[in-house]
Amino acid sequence: MKQTLSILAIGMVLFTGCRKNEPETFYGPDLNDLFGPFSIVQNITVSHNPINFALDGNLSFNGELSKNTDWVITITGANSGAIRNITGSERILSSANATWNGGANSYPAFSIEDVYIEITFPNEEGSPVLYDTVAITGEKIDDGVLITGFENGAGSNWVVFNQTTVTGEIVCGNGESAKGTCHYSVEGVVGWDWAKGSVSIQPDAGTFPLQSSPNNLFFNMALKPVESVGPTSSFIQIWFDEDENDDGIFDPNTEDRYIYEYWTTDTIWELVSVEYASLTQDENGDPLVTNGNGLPEPSKLLSVNLFFLSDPNNGNAKALFDHIIFTSNGPYNP
Amino acid sequence: MSKISLIIVCLGLIPAVLAQKQKSQINGSARTYIFSNNLDIDDDIDTITTRKANYGHSLLDFGVSAFPNKNTEIIGMFRIRNELGGFWGGGVSFNVRQLTLKGVAGDIVRYELGDIDIKQTPYTVWNFGEEGNINEADIFASRRQVVHYDMFYNDSSNAWRMQGAQAKFGLNFNKGIKAINFHGFMTRQKTTDGLTTPERMFGGGKIGIEASENLSILFNSANIFDLTETIADSLQFKNSVHTASLEYKNDLKDSLEFGFNSEMGLSSTNYINYQDTRAPESLSDWFIDANIYTNLKNKGVIVKLGYKDVGADFRSPSAQTKRIDYSKFPRVYKQFTNNSLGRVLSYADFISGNTDNSFKISEELLPYYAAYNNTNPYGAATPNRRGIYLNLARKDSIGFKTSFIKVAGLTESVGTGTLQKKIFLLTEAGTDLYLNDLFKWNRLLKLDLGMRYENTTRTGKEYENIQLASTFIDLGLSWEIAEKLDILAGAKLWSVSGNAFINERNLFNSIDDFDIVDLNFTENVLAAGLQYRFSEKNIFSLHYQQFNINHADDAVIDYGMSQFTILYNLFF
Repeated sequence: MKQTLSILAIGMVLFTGCRKNEPETFYGPDLNDLFGPFSIVQNITVSHNPINFALDGNLSFNGELSKNTDWVITITGANSGAIRNITGSERILSSANATWNGGANSYPAFSIEDVYIEITFPNEEGSPVLYDTVAITGEKIDDGVLITGFENGAGSNWVVFNQTTVTGEIVCGNGESAKGTCHYSVEGVVGWDWAKGSVSIQPDAGTFPLQSSPNNLFFNMALKPVESVGPTSSFIQIWFDEDENDDGIFDPNTEDRYIYEYWTTDTIWELVSVEYASLTQDENGDPLVTNGNGLPEPSKLLSVNLFFLSDPNNGNAKALFDHIIFTSNGPYNP
Repeated sequence: MSKISLIIVCLGLIPAVLAQKQKSQINGSARTYIFSNNLDIDDDIDTITTRKANYGHSLLDFGVSAFPNKNTEIIGMFRIRNELGGFWGGGVSFNVRQLTLKGVAGDIVRYELGDIDIKQTPYTVWNFGEEGNINEADIFASRRQVVHYDMFYNDSSNAWRMQGAQAKFGLNFNKGIKAINFHGFMTRQKTTDGLTTPERMFGGGKIGIEASENLSILFNSANIFDLTETIADSLQFKNSVHTASLEYKNDLKDSLEFGFNSEMGLSSTNYINYQDTRAPESLSDWFIDANIYTNLKNKGVIVKLGYKDVGADFRSPSAQTKRIDYSKFPRVYKQFTNNSLGRVLSYADFISGNTDNSFKISEELLPYYAAYNNTNPYGAATPNRRGIYLNLARKDSIGFKTSFIKVAGLTESVGTGTLQKKIFLLTEAGTDLYLNDLFKWNRLLKLDLGMRYENTTRTGKEYENIQLASTFIDLGLSWEIAEKLDILAGAKLWSVSGNAFINERNLFNSIDDFDIVDLNFTENVLAAGLQYRFSEKNIFSLHYQQFNINHADDAVIDYGMSQFTILYNLFF
């Protein structure tokens, strides 16, 4: 019996000794995060200054805080006024959670300029606000097929239409562009008609170099309604003309023209984005009637016509267009 | 077979049995319980709540035990309850309280079907007691007994009442080991709704080996599992607890007994195919509880020294289910003050049965109140505790009945919210002092003395610090002033000061947050009354009880409740 008891006692001691001491483990949320004092353990720095996004890749922020807490990095373009917010709540800021690819939250986009960086900690009362300035020497490279940013003037095949009292033209250098230094402006009073003006953008030769499938292909443009703005006051139509027979000419009687309509809502630069495959339906989901084969074929897209229309009773109407680009798998990120 | 069907069968059997002049037996209880409450709260902060609350009930539990043959017993018990003020059928309810069929098959296997009581060990199946009861006064015990009777809490057995079947049998041997006893059970815990809630079963058993007069070994198993095909989804909750316990005792001398007790085991919990990302697919942990003891027989003193370590992820729902659900508001004065604040449970509510009590096991660790119990809120099987304990007990010295002192020093095995661990020091002591024995009086004059002191600390940075001290004194007086007529008095005095970090767990028992509270209050329940004993099973009593809670923080509501009760209790 003594032997049995001895074995049991030894077994029990061994069993007890098997309990892992886990000194680095605890259950539940970290009290330090909830109630611990806040401090910046390691200064937050940027990985590049200046930065050329095309060459250097992303800009990352690196630093260490005393606790996990919300932080907000606000990046503001000195000239463009573009804004980008990066948020997180991790104690360690690094390329894993605090990177900037040169993009903005929305239009306007950043250009070659200085940007002001502000870092705040909204849940930490009395915490410091950190500031820095970084120079952008090269913009990010957009993924997608750029149709035009109006930076290089009008193409040889573009067709411009303006009512006699309307001015429609490329404007550069006034600091109002969504991206870069140029945009297209349509402005005027047309008391007799909704139509104000349009610009039909067509490549110098052939069709645009787009994929053949309309699925996951997005048309994007920057739009800034300036006057006569509102969901019953003005809108743009975007005409997508396809050259189905490859003759280099669009025939509206035998080929497909898809028209996308977008009513204005606000006077800020906004992103208008639509999937090419959805052009076959109107805003109610009903199929659009076209005169061609009825198949959306982006690889046969010959021209994109931006047409501004406004209520004739509203007096002067104005809208700006910029940065027309096709992207794959999602809308454009400015 | 549904209960209704069984009732019909039983009702049909009774006359048949009687007609055959077989044995039958009637048992049950009757009770009248009348409450008159008065809320005492400052008029400046509460002009809304009605101060008086009067209610009560009468009930009859009518049970019949029928014996169709010498090896079979059928027990049926019906409850007729009438709320105070209800008449012409209003407020009357008629329920089946118990339906059990039991017997012995082949003179070997004892079986029970229907409503059955299941108990194993404090780490497997154990209905542990609620807080605030350290050798409590008779005046409180008699009222607590009413609640326990209604909820099928049996303090002497710590069993859970369930619906299902169990069977037991034993084998005796002439050589080697003495005997092996087997016990198996299967019960239903939850019925399916056919949509999202699967049917839940609870089954297990134990095998006890009596190796000799001195040594016995017990293997226990308790398992909860969902029947996956009872709903379209494949959700399944599973929990298994398997333990082995060993008891050894030996008389070193005629007057000195030495013993060794231990239990150790594993738990495994699975949430299978749950969409909720908080659900851990698999969780397992283990525990050990071992002690040695000596029994000085000639002095009636037992000293026990033990060590326990219960893992943070040890889950044993049938041993960790609390009797009282602290997340629920009391049934009387649920809300008060002009802001209609929910009233937190007080100890007066425990005594009066105004709490939400568990009638079945819960896979969730129910909320607890750190002021009442921070060391072992989930009984012996409280997870995340390790440390030593020392128990001393003395039986039947002159004037004193069982006296005891229990001391435990435990820590968390894994920190909560920090690497720093909480440290718990718990002391409980109690005795019954029979003054009539000391002074050789014929009539009973007894003092019940109980005390509990609990200290919780955690050191570290300022925001990690915990210092919580809770003192509880349980006093009672029972004095037979005339033949069968007793004066009863009692007091429960809580004094709590400090702060607490209470784990807030989600439905998968993971800690989501901490409820950080300052607890600085005194809570007193004073009671006095008269009791007339027609017999030990037939008692009429009048009680008056005064409750007050006062907080150090003026922002917390101080209030009181007085209660007058009439209780007539008859068991037959």
